[in-house]
Amino acid sequence: MKTDDSKAIITGAGINFSFGQGELRKQILFDVELAIQPGEIVLLTGPSGSGKTTLLTLIAGLRKLQEGRLDVLGHSLHNASQADLLQLRRKIGFIFQAHNLLPYLTALQNVQVMFDLQPDVTIKEGRERATRMLQQVGLGERMNYHVSRLSGGQKQRVAIARALVGRPELVLADEPTAALDGTSGREVVNLLQSLAREQKRPILMVTHDVRVLDIADRIIEMQDGHLTASSRGSSSAENHPAKGVQNEPDIANVTL
Amino acid sequence: MSQRIPLAWLQLKHEKMKLFAAVAGVMVSVVLMWMQLGLMKALFASAVVFHGSMNGELVIVHSQYEHLLHSKVFSSRLLYRLRGSPDVSDVFSIYLAPGEWKNPWNGEMRSIQCYGIETDNASLKLPGIEQHLLQLRNTDVFLYDRMARPRFGDVVGAVERREPVELELNRRRMSLAGVVDLGASFGVDGNVLVSHANFLRLFPERKSGEIDVGVVKLMPGISVVSAQKQFQKVLGKEVQVLTVEQFKELELIYWRSATPIGIIFTAGTVVGFFIGFIVVYQILYTDVTNHLPQYATMKAMGFSDGYLYQLVLGQSVQLATMGFIPGSLIAAAMYAGLRKVTQLPLYMEPMRGVFLIFATILMCTFSGMLAVRKLRSADPADVF
Ligand SMILES: Nc1ncnc2c1ncn2[C@@H]1O[C@H](COP(=O)(O)OP(=O)(O)O)[C@@H](O)[C@H]1O
Ligand SMILES: [Mg+2]
Repeated sequence: MKTDDSKAIITGAGINFSFGQGELRKQILFDVELAIQPGEIVLLTGPSGSGKTTLLTLIAGLRKLQEGRLDVLGHSLHNASQADLLQLRRKIGFIFQAHNLLPYLTALQNVQVMFDLQPDVTIKEGRERATRMLQQVGLGERMNYHVSRLSGGQKQRVAIARALVGRPELVLADEPTAALDGTSGREVVNLLQSLAREQKRPILMVTHDVRVLDIADRIIEMQDGHLTASSRGSSSAENHPAKGVQNEPDIANVTL
Repeated sequence: MSQRIPLAWLQLKHEKMKLFAAVAGVMVSVVLMWMQLGLMKALFASAVVFHGSMNGELVIVHSQYEHLLHSKVFSSRLLYRLRGSPDVSDVFSIYLAPGEWKNPWNGEMRSIQCYGIETDNASLKLPGIEQHLLQLRNTDVFLYDRMARPRFGDVVGAVERREPVELELNRRRMSLAGVVDLGASFGVDGNVLVSHANFLRLFPERKSGEIDVGVVKLMPGISVVSAQKQFQKVLGKEVQVLTVEQFKELELIYWRSATPIGIIFTAGTVVGFFIGFIVVYQILYTDVTNHLPQYATMKAMGFSDGYLYQLVLGQSVQLATMGFIPGSLIAAAMYAGLRKVTQLPLYMEPMRGVFLIFATILMCTFSGMLAVRKLRSADPADVF
């Protein structure tokens, strides 16, 4: 992971994005500009339909950038090739609204399968790392359970383990608590935050779950395709003094 | 990319009913292909058992001879011309005609193929025939085809049990001198071998010396092809001089064109192939469709298209293997059963097995490749 604090891991400027063609063309993102620093936990909030997911899919290299400049983890996404986008995605840990686990695998296998993307990790090492990761998310006892035998919160914890086990340079999460009740949602978010802090992984998380806003270093808000406001999150040095936040949240990183 | 976790297999195994249906589909297809190809081969092979048993290299038949059931006689005097040749070791003549066999148990009349052969020397290379040649010289005795269809009655069993049975051929009381293996075929349900003299007794309308088939045994080291050319010149246009292979081929050409057997069994094999193809395609296609969100998720996480293709194609190869093995076992059992009932030479020939392994893998891979196209519609942008 890059440790150069001055170097943002995501920078974007002048991003416009539309769905549809001709008459049906509908612009979703308007002149979006953003920068996210290494190790930062950034929450992206805003009303439903405002374009948060669309922005996330652009950053993840899941959609083609139409206009503007967007650099993620050293990949310039303007006219990036499919192969380049695939390389980028392998550096990202994904957490979805639904757990999106493979139902025919056990918890451990779901995590382990990620090492098929990292051929240099031996089978043994992959197994050990997957096991440790599951213990860290509190599922050490249920590693060999099939997904169908886990509760919603447990499934999402497996998904977190799967997203983090490959040591991604960035974690992208889209409403990871939306399908969970308040308590398990809270647990999942706390877990994600503490693991990310431990591993010093930056997180960009879309959520409109107001109960979890406190984990953020920084909160940015989207309104009708515009990034409208950014505020310092309540998760600051006094909440997690020991976890070693590498870089102080900086409002100036998001240019409105 | 190496697969550390047997994803293809785990995914197949996850839905047992679907796996069972797919394997059953492949199995049915494999059994069908074995049966069709085996029957085709056996039916054609059974039609030329007699031809293959010629104790000689060249065969002489009338120029209008087409096949065993459509023969035309020629004078055996023609063959005498060959006896003097230093290239010739022996010449045999054979009469043939369909006779009427009376089933001793139910009295039913059945057509049976009768051959009049020489009894001094074996003109046919059939196992065990020599020990019976002397007996064949007696009046009104015959050799019976052990592999004849059961409709003629359990003649062999009765003789073995020493039961007295009244055997009647062309309304003549006959007695059994022994058995040989010839086998039934398309137009022939069974065979009977008799001496020339007995043949002429059975078929009084036939003239002595008007034979159907001449067999020429060459001296060792004589070129078959040049002898064939030379004899054809000597004998003239009334007869055709054939190698044993050509004699067989003539028979096969007739049955291939006269019967739709080649077409039916080839079509049957193709149908078998397509049954497997369609079942596997259907199952893999619905499987890919049902799992699209999972595949989209995997694409989003950085798994390449190649990885996912490998996953689906891996499943098709696994289905091929799982269907091929039990399918072949079933086919082997059916071969054995049919061999017993129909006396057809049905065997699990290794070459056919190799061919079918490839056909099965091809079938499953084809369907896998078609089903895999559906993977394109797994859009990783849809996963959030
Ligand atoms: N694939 C798509 N095709 C067309 N319109 C889309 C598509 N995805 C999203 N939209 C539209 O784009 C807008 C923003 O959607 P989205 O980014 O999902 O918002 P949010 O995540 O903030 O709820 C919505 O109006 C939505 O209807
Ligand atoms: Mg959304």
